[in-house]
Amino acid sequence: MDYILKLPEYEKVIKSIKETIITNIVLVGQVPAPTFFEQNRTKVILERMSELNIDECSTDSYQNPIGIIRGTRRNMPPLFLVAHIDTIFDEDVDHNYIVKEKYIAGPGILDNSAGVGILVSLPEIFKKLNLHFKSDIVLAGVVQSIGRGNLRGIRHLLRGWSSPIRGAICLEGCDLGRLNYYSNGMMRCEIICNISSKQGWENNFRPNAILVLYEVINRILKLRLPQKPQARVIFGKISGGVKHGKIALTAKLGFEIQSDSEAMVKEIYNDIRDIVSGISHERTVDLKLKTVSSTNPARLQFSHPLVKQTISVMKTLGIAPASENSESELSIFLANDIPAVTLGMSKGDNYHLENGSLEIEPIFTGIAQVIGVLLALDSGECDG
Amino acid sequence: MGNNAWIKKNTFHFSDFKDLNYLVREKKRKNLTISLCLPTLNEEETIAKEIVIFRSELVLRYPLIDEIVVIDSGSTDKTREVAKAFGASVYIADEILPDLEKQKGKGENLWKALYVTSGDIIIYIDADIKNIHHRFAYALVGPLLLYDNIKYVKAFYERPIAGRRKTRPTGGGRVTELVVRPFFSLFFPEMAQIIQPLSGEYAGFRKIFEEIPFPIGYGVETSMLLDICEKWGLDVIAQVDLEKRVHRNQDTKALGRMSFAIINTFVDRLEKLGVIKTQKKLLTKMIQYKIINNEYRPDIFDIKKLERPPIIDIPEYCKKFNIDQGTKKND
Ligand SMILES: Nc1nc2c(ncn2[C@@H]2O[C@H](COP(=O)(O)OP(=O)(O)OP(=O)(O)O)[C@@H](O)[C@H]2O)c(=O)[nH]1
Repeated sequence: MDYILKLPEYEKVIKSIKETIITNIVLVGQVPAPTFFEQNRTKVILERMSELNIDECSTDSYQNPIGIIRGTRRNMPPLFLVAHIDTIFDEDVDHNYIVKEKYIAGPGILDNSAGVGILVSLPEIFKKLNLHFKSDIVLAGVVQSIGRGNLRGIRHLLRGWSSPIRGAICLEGCDLGRLNYYSNGMMRCEIICNISSKQGWENNFRPNAILVLYEVINRILKLRLPQKPQARVIFGKISGGVKHGKIALTAKLGFEIQSDSEAMVKEIYNDIRDIVSGISHERTVDLKLKTVSSTNPARLQFSHPLVKQTISVMKTLGIAPASENSESELSIFLANDIPAVTLGMSKGDNYHLENGSLEIEPIFTGIAQVIGVLLALDSGECDG
Repeated sequence: MGNNAWIKKNTFHFSDFKDLNYLVREKKRKNLTISLCLPTLNEEETIAKEIVIFRSELVLRYPLIDEIVVIDSGSTDKTREVAKAFGASVYIADEILPDLEKQKGKGENLWKALYVTSGDIIIYIDADIKNIHHRFAYALVGPLLLYDNIKYVKAFYERPIAGRRKTRPTGGGRVTELVVRPFFSLFFPEMAQIIQPLSGEYAGFRKIFEEIPFPIGYGVETSMLLDICEKWGLDVIAQVDLEKRVHRNQDTKALGRMSFAIINTFVDRLEKLGVIKTQKKLLTKMIQYKIINNEYRPDIFDIKKLERPPIIDIPEYCKKFNIDQGTKKND
């Protein structure tokens, strides 16, 4: 446990190489990496990693960039540190970051270039702190994570990893203080309504795609959802039509079904599927339900040593932990029975905007926290 | 006749110098020090990123650069504050060599830098580059460290050509293609091989910089090339492809004023070399027009042709660098 006492000292040493940490965040973040098109960022991550003190550096067949630092004990299963490298920003968005005295700003910085830049900086930080681990440390950027990526990168990485994994930490740009250790079951879906331009005898009496979706929403709202297992449907996105005065011929609704029970997610999905086919039939419109992605519920107990150790690391560093469900890389580790948590690196603003910004000062605390949890994992205190 | 012998010999790509350990070894072996100089005028948006990246990569990780110096021409934004916060040495141009009459301009800024920096090699990099990367610095010193004949290195920016047989024009900026290149072609055709004579990124030995005059304004890049070529020959110059540079874009009027200063420099050098003779003293005002309430109004800019002498002619400089004024010049 004496590593816990060293953390405030570590924080200072980490800060002494702030230029390198900022440089990694900037150089990685400035390479556009929309989901499915992460190749260029993968290249830069490998370039940065291979220059630093790392033993092996490569990609798997999905182009997940991976660096490995060999541990001191043979046969000890590895510890994973992961950060998803894809962002919601297209290639044509100006990705040149701005560095100011107190913050770094640019598209995708919070989700998740800061996490990736810090991941890439870890070998140099370990060296500076003179830290050696018993386990191999696997640093993995993962592709195809968000939205339609549906966590494909991490799923593939773990599927292809034949030996056991001791534990994992997922890095996210913000917010410092988050501690995720449970994931709901989730199904992310889209309902798309297309009205054929030939339909209806007269232009003005065609069905309106927006109104069709309105009816769908109304029927979903009438579903009776139980309090236990917890379940909810979140409408998160809607779009449709082209002009104020024209009947909308297309409309799209994006939503998520969330529950801590896998069976409940399926049940609600089936109900919604029935609603969609019913309306499609009755209104004779083209209405489709598509699943974009899904995860199964999984969790660590609050009493799990990894959760407990993480909380004491955070408290030592003056971070107030806050927990909620998170459906991300974490879900896949937990579903594979690998103890894992997700941690935030710093504070930020304008989360998903082009001028997203990340505060520089809290980063060093964020990294010290990662080191603390990693040491806890490596010490064996969290082994199940 | 082919006008490309120099290009073939003295043109490099930044990747030729990416072995930074090798560069650091050569620097040590030759016992050289290197100063990076960033001239600024209201660059708070970009200056910090430049300092952070150069410090991380070329000071902390690979000890190639010995000092990072920001010379500021009187910014009214937070440039100096931000630069200091990230550990650069910051100077105000006007406060350097304060006994001299103060002048304004980028050339003045670069010239003053010679007095406050200490390196044997000086790298100048504009402070307004949005996609800054450490290659901008290491690739400029690369040829100076690895090739004994090379004393001055100029950056240019070209996208790599995909496919070997493709042809496409090189992309110098507007002022390069409309002013500098025609002048080179008319009077110094071998210098037309320099792809981007106006790029703000170059490095050279102090010995070179201290022996040439610096126009105080926009003529400085052109005069430097003409003077170095005239004094030591084109072969001491190399150019390095840094591939891509993203920076603030200037409007045509600003480029017009820049061209005015450059043409002025050309005419001056041509006269000194005895190539042409002007019958009348050149004027110093650039006249542009704007329309206000349907009326044409002149917009007049005074762009004086002022030049700082080779800094080696300044006694304070010689004193600081222990140069004996009697024996200073090799000619
Ligand atoms: N214009 C101008 N720039 C200065 C001065 N002092 C320093 N600079 C710096 O010199 C660099 C070149 O600035 P500009 O002249 O605006 O750039 P430019 O002419 O557009 O050059 P490019 O960026 O190569 O197109 C920048 O880093 C400026 O901040 C000055 O007095 N005037």
